[in-house]
Amino acid sequence: MNEPVSIVFVVDDDPSIRRAIKRLVESVGLRVELFGSAAEFMSSSHPDIVSCLVLDIRLPGISGLDFQRKLASANVPVPIIFITGHGDIPMSVRGMKGGAIEFLTKPFRDQDLLDAIQIALERDRARRQREGEIATLRERFESLSPREREVVAMVVSGMPNKQTAAEIGITENTVKVHRSRAMEKMQAQSLADLVKMVERLKIED
Amino acid sequence: MTVSAIMPMTGFYDYSEVARSILIAIAASYAALDLAGRVTAASGRVRLAWLSGGAIAMGIGIWTMHLKGMLAFGLPVPVEYYWPTLLVGLSVAIFASAVALYVTSRPNMSRTDALTGSIVMSAGIAGLHYSLMAAMRMPAITRYSPLLVACSILLAVLFSLIALLMAFGLREETRGTVPRKIGSAIVMGIAISAMHYTGMAAASFFPGPPPDLSHTVSNAPIAGSGVVVATLLVLVAAIFTSSVDRRAHAEIRQVNQDLERRVAERTSQLEAVNQALRKEIAERERAEEALRTSEREQHRIAEQLETERARLIEAQAVAKVGSWETELPSLDITWTEQTHRIFETDPSYFHPTRPGFVELVHPEDRAKVDAAFEASLEKGAASTVKYRIVMADGRVKVLEDHWKVFHDGQGRPARLIGTCQDITERQQAEEDLRGSEDRLRLVIDTIPQQIWSGPADGSLDFCNAQWRSYTGLTLEELQGEGWQRILHPEDRERVLTSWRESVANGTPYEQEERHRRADGQYRWFLARGVPLRDSEGHIIRWYGTNTDIEDRKEADGRLRLVIDTLPALVWSKLPDGSADFLNKRFREYTGLSEEEGLGWGWMKNAFHPEDRAEEEWRAAFAAGEPFEKEARLRREDSSYRWFLLRAVPLRDETGNVIKWYGSTTDIEDRKRAEEALLEAQHKLALVARIQAMAELAATIAHEVNQPLTAIVTNASFSLRQLGGSTPNFDEVRTAITEIVNDGTRASAVISRIRGLLVKGTSRRVDLDINRTIRDVIVLLGNELSRNHVHLRTELAFNLPRVHGDPVQLQQVLINLVMNALDAMRLSTEQARNLLIRSAKNADDIWVLVQDSGPGIEPDLAARIFEPFFTTKVEGTGMGLSISRSIIESHGGHLSLVSSSQGALFEFTLPVTMNE
Repeated sequence: MNEPVSIVFVVDDDPSIRRAIKRLVESVGLRVELFGSAAEFMSSSHPDIVSCLVLDIRLPGISGLDFQRKLASANVPVPIIFITGHGDIPMSVRGMKGGAIEFLTKPFRDQDLLDAIQIALERDRARRQREGEIATLRERFESLSPREREVVAMVVSGMPNKQTAAEIGITENTVKVHRSRAMEKMQAQSLADLVKMVERLKIED
Repeated sequence: MTVSAIMPMTGFYDYSEVARSILIAIAASYAALDLAGRVTAASGRVRLAWLSGGAIAMGIGIWTMHLKGMLAFGLPVPVEYYWPTLLVGLSVAIFASAVALYVTSRPNMSRTDALTGSIVMSAGIAGLHYSLMAAMRMPAITRYSPLLVACSILLAVLFSLIALLMAFGLREETRGTVPRKIGSAIVMGIAISAMHYTGMAAASFFPGPPPDLSHTVSNAPIAGSGVVVATLLVLVAAIFTSSVDRRAHAEIRQVNQDLERRVAERTSQLEAVNQALRKEIAERERAEEALRTSEREQHRIAEQLETERARLIEAQAVAKVGSWETELPSLDITWTEQTHRIFETDPSYFHPTRPGFVELVHPEDRAKVDAAFEASLEKGAASTVKYRIVMADGRVKVLEDHWKVFHDGQGRPARLIGTCQDITERQQAEEDLRGSEDRLRLVIDTIPQQIWSGPADGSLDFCNAQWRSYTGLTLEELQGEGWQRILHPEDRERVLTSWRESVANGTPYEQEERHRRADGQYRWFLARGVPLRDSEGHIIRWYGTNTDIEDRKEADGRLRLVIDTLPALVWSKLPDGSADFLNKRFREYTGLSEEEGLGWGWMKNAFHPEDRAEEEWRAAFAAGEPFEKEARLRREDSSYRWFLLRAVPLRDETGNVIKWYGSTTDIEDRKRAEEALLEAQHKLALVARIQAMAELAATIAHEVNQPLTAIVTNASFSLRQLGGSTPNFDEVRTAITEIVNDGTRASAVISRIRGLLVKGTSRRVDLDINRTIRDVIVLLGNELSRNHVHLRTELAFNLPRVHGDPVQLQQVLINLVMNALDAMRLSTEQARNLLIRSAKNADDIWVLVQDSGPGIEPDLAARIFEPFFTTKVEGTGMGLSISRSIIESHGGHLSLVSSSQGALFEFTLPVTMNE
């Protein structure tokens, strides 16, 4: 697979700061997009790639913290790095509790910001990967017939084939057939794999 | 005998001759002493005779003695004497003697006299000696030893002096002188000889050429003896005559004395007789004098009598009193001229008789007259009768007779002597007076005042009807000291003391006292009394009134009750501010007695020490306008509470203040509340300031942080680039450019923040800075006085206007004044003085604010204008920096001037350049 392209979103009302941050971040080979306010960010469309968000707390209109909450409630899982001119403890606690990666006070050290961005992007990448994987699994699971799904459900719970057959009311052989077809579809190499897959699917539910 | 030419010749003395010479010396001395006495006793020509005779005798004596001495001395060669020189020697001797006698015979011999005398004498003697030596004719040369010569001369002076003194002392002719004289003569004789032989010793003889022997006499003893005998004879003669003379003198003296004695006796006898005679004469004269005096006296009496008589007649005429005499039992009547005049009868024609007299008497009074006449004869005492007489033309006169009965040796009435006075006018006057008296009495009794009067001793002899009816007592009961019974027991002592004092000193009397009414009730009266004086100032009578003041007193009482009940501390003061009334509440509250509170006691005893601003109060009273002041009053329990004292003046018609009235209300609670409010306000302001500060800080932080962040980020980027293998210089350049821009932006932000600190929109007008200063003083007046700050302003007249924002400039002044106040609050002991001065200075207005606080230390002085720098515990440190900003934005300059005491801030503002 190619290195996934990532993007860093910077939302700060100070143009000078925006430009400076862009300069800095691009210098390490990352792509940056600048926004002057939360609204601006929301109203623009972004490619759905690995990304993170560098967010000033003090913004015109909605504040950074509130925006964080809004994103969370809108299920936008982009990782957030807060930067702020004046940071007090309650503010930072709230930000971190809300799931922010980092809380930096201006003026911050360049390395601190870059490190935070890396972590954020990593997290996002990881998430996306995880989600992709889940999606694939789900797809595969969707491709199973109902009878196959039934069998899988019982098999992964540890029920022997004979019992499964008896439960459903089909023959053991049929159970075996369904099981192997399901495993094929699911691309599980072993029963253990299948179990794991089903577990993962269950968690995501 | 070998005579050597070199050696002196040895002389030899014939000692018998020496002895004879000494004898002669003694004799001569005695003679001298004697003669001295003679010369002294004598006078005039006799004296001169004695002097000359004495001198000759003495001279011969001395000369002989020397010659004898010379003759006693023998030399181995023949010695002759040149007799002229001898005679010269004699004359010298006589001269010396004369001097001696003269000196010793004077009344006084002073030291100078004695000395001069002795020198002359010794000169004479020396002269004599050396002349004798010079008279020697011999084949020899005489040499003198200077030393011995000097000795001999010295001896001569000494001898002379001794001789003079002795002679002077012995010249008196007293008994017992003779032995002494002999003694002295011996001494003198020996002395003379000693002197001679010393002189001789001084000479030494050497062989010499043969002498010229013309006119010489030889050394023949016989001649010598002859000379001696002659001399002795002379001396004896002298002595003899001297003694004879003395005796004669003595006798004469004796006779003189006797004579004198007898004369004295006789004189004293005569004196006695004289005295007696004089005494007699004196007595005689006295007698004569006495006689003369009595004669004169008689004359005088006679004259006096005459004069008296004339006067009597005169007096009678003036007084219209005539006198009369009635002989008894003949009833012969004699009238004086005046009596005639009274009766209008002619003395030439009318001879008064008893019936004639009675005829003239008014018929109605005849009986009275007769009765009086009869009665007096019996009584024998002075009598009087008043009666009328009728004149020819019908006029009636009223007469008054006074007479006395005189008795003869046997005690029988002999005559009546009396006076008769025309009292018609007096009678009339009395009637008129009585009439007016009656009217007056009516008035006095009708006036609705109690009136009284009495003699100078303070007793009462008159009370008008009003008083009598009030007391229900009669005049008799009130008279004298009786009036005292109506006094209230509590007032008695005071009234009597005061009245007695008035009576004694003549000062008007005034007292408020209670008098008892007829029904037993007491009412208050104002009793007043004034004295009536005669022309010499002595008091004749006392007059007075009693005015019923019961109602007034009651009203006073009610008023007092009201004043005392009012829930306020009420007082009144005299125009100068000393209290003359403090209501009950005041006294109860402060716990002061009347005495403690009156005068200025209210301030001294009830005010808090810090509030006893006597000067200010006095000034306020003097100003005469209503005023109010706050002060802490001490409560009875010694705690202090704040009070508001309000005073209003009461004026008379001319507008002068005659009294101050005031009330004092408790404002402690209000004060506390005020203070709490002020406190809260301060706190609030502080909190607001702090709040603002915090916000400001946040703002600053944020505003400045933005460009800073950009700068830091850009710089980090640039470093990364430059540190990498392939720096993108274009990007770096861009980044650095942005850094510069952001730096500029940051500074602009700071300027903007500073501008923000100067709050509000600035409204500038042309203003008078003095007005601004005064406004601030008014604003902070209370604050200043509450902190006992003494403010002095020196604002220059006619300052040019400045263009500025009055609110902002006020803010600056408030800041400076409040800083000053805070500084001075630190010291409680020193006086708190604040000076605000304004002046014109070239193109600027110059304002100075100086306090008397501890001042600002030099190392702090540099920093006080920094923002956030403060030395105050609760200070924000913004005041001065803001003030400076304001002043500088006005184009002026605010600075701290170094000062030895206190802090001195001054700022300048440019004068408006006028159109």
